[in-house]
Amino acid sequence: MDNLSLLAFGSDGWGDELLSGLLVTIQLAATTLPLGLLIGFAVAGASLSSHPWLRRFGRGYTTAARGIPELLTLFLVYNGIAMLLNAVWRWLDPEAGFVELSPFIAGVIALSVVFGAFSGEVLRGAFQALDRGQIEAGQAIGLSRWDLFRFIKLPQIWRFALPGLGNLWVNLIKDTALVSIIALNDLLRMTNIAVGATKKPFTFFLIACAAYWLLSILSEMVLARLEERANRGVRRA
Amino acid sequence: MNTQVIEKNSSQALEAPLIARDIHKSFGELEVLKGISLTSRQHDVTAILGSSGSGKSTFLRCLNLLEVPDAGELIVHGQQVRFKHNRLGEAVPEDEKLVERIRARLGMVFQQFNLWSHMTVLENCMVGPLRVLKQPRAEVEARARYYLNKVGLDNRVDHYPSHLSGGQQQRAAIARALTMEPDVMLFDEPTSALDPELVGEVLLVMRKLAEEGRTMIVVTHEMAFAREVSSHVMFLHQGLVEEEGAPEQLFRQQESERFRQFLSTNF
Repeated sequence: MDNLSLLAFGSDGWGDELLSGLLVTIQLAATTLPLGLLIGFAVAGASLSSHPWLRRFGRGYTTAARGIPELLTLFLVYNGIAMLLNAVWRWLDPEAGFVELSPFIAGVIALSVVFGAFSGEVLRGAFQALDRGQIEAGQAIGLSRWDLFRFIKLPQIWRFALPGLGNLWVNLIKDTALVSIIALNDLLRMTNIAVGATKKPFTFFLIACAAYWLLSILSEMVLARLEERANRGVRRA
Repeated sequence: MNTQVIEKNSSQALEAPLIARDIHKSFGELEVLKGISLTSRQHDVTAILGSSGSGKSTFLRCLNLLEVPDAGELIVHGQQVRFKHNRLGEAVPEDEKLVERIRARLGMVFQQFNLWSHMTVLENCMVGPLRVLKQPRAEVEARARYYLNKVGLDNRVDHYPSHLSGGQQQRAAIARALTMEPDVMLFDEPTSALDPELVGEVLLVMRKLAEEGRTMIVVTHEMAFAREVSSHVMFLHQGLVEEEGAPEQLFRQQESERFRQFLSTNF
């Protein structure tokens, strides 16, 4: 078989398998992003709160979630949450069988926990970079807390945080490869299966590289556009 | 009974949109305001003078609750703002929503302009009326353009603040406050951050507003402005009113030795 027919769709080639793996990778990253950002905002808000317990919680979360390898977080979520679920299940119904947490959901939770911790720090920095005077101007005109956040703070937090968040996003795309270990059929796992079947590691790993690069390049293009938009009104030095 | 109260309030609001009585404020151990009172009647232009550290900016910031007074009475548009102390012992307003309503009636112009950098000049003027007063967009935009025209920025409406000079930014900030159609305009050293050659254009706009009969409270170092434009002058020293009165009289003859010294070094 020549290299091109290796990538054919259908039962002979690996094209459709790799493409489905790529789609899983994209789905995983795209589902994690909003959840992780939500956690990030919550953690940043807690870290900056005037409430000492909330502050402690924010700092504790960041330390805990940033401090261990992503892979370990994934195992903890995949096995730990499944055990917890089963314990609760059996307590409710002793006859119940064993339930398994879907690898996709486990992956999304684990990656969100990590993304939340890192983006929380990026967002905290952006919060602190806000101009006090502009916030006061918003208060002075009578904006409610929520409107002040939505119309004055958020667009500027976004501008300050975007480069850092872009970095985390590209990292996230690569971290999705970790879920191949818990048997989710993402791009890397499909590539591995193809390598095992065809004994052509170099070809397939290079194809996987190309696919990840493509995702990165596309992301960088979108990020550049977003940054350009977020920086409107900012004078270039 | 209730209607009586409202009528009394609204007639009071009409003649004196802002009354502050015996305002006290401390930052930690430092007592910055030791009991200052001010009644701002309609069309009054009050100039607040004083050297740095006299408490004049803090007093102005207490009027729209950017600083919350520790004690004293504040009545804006006939409505009294009440304060309490939180568990950390900081003064906080009892009713946040009332504070927002009151702020909407007081236009604030800052020393550092504080325009929102991610919005054009026109958008800066429209946010408040749209979000706080919840007025229709077309009406708000027409009014914003009217006031921007009035401060001489009709050809800069779509510019971002960073592309304007300091004087233009401050005039835009004045238009932003005016678009809210406030009862009282508060100015916190509006020309102190400007290059000397840009001070005139801002003072000219303020002078025009005073001539139109706007109610204004101005913390300033511009003695000529205070003398020629204001109807009432307050001189603060160490958190107290050292001397106050009509400008014609006060600038001719001073009772306080400190005020005399202040004038001789600032004119």
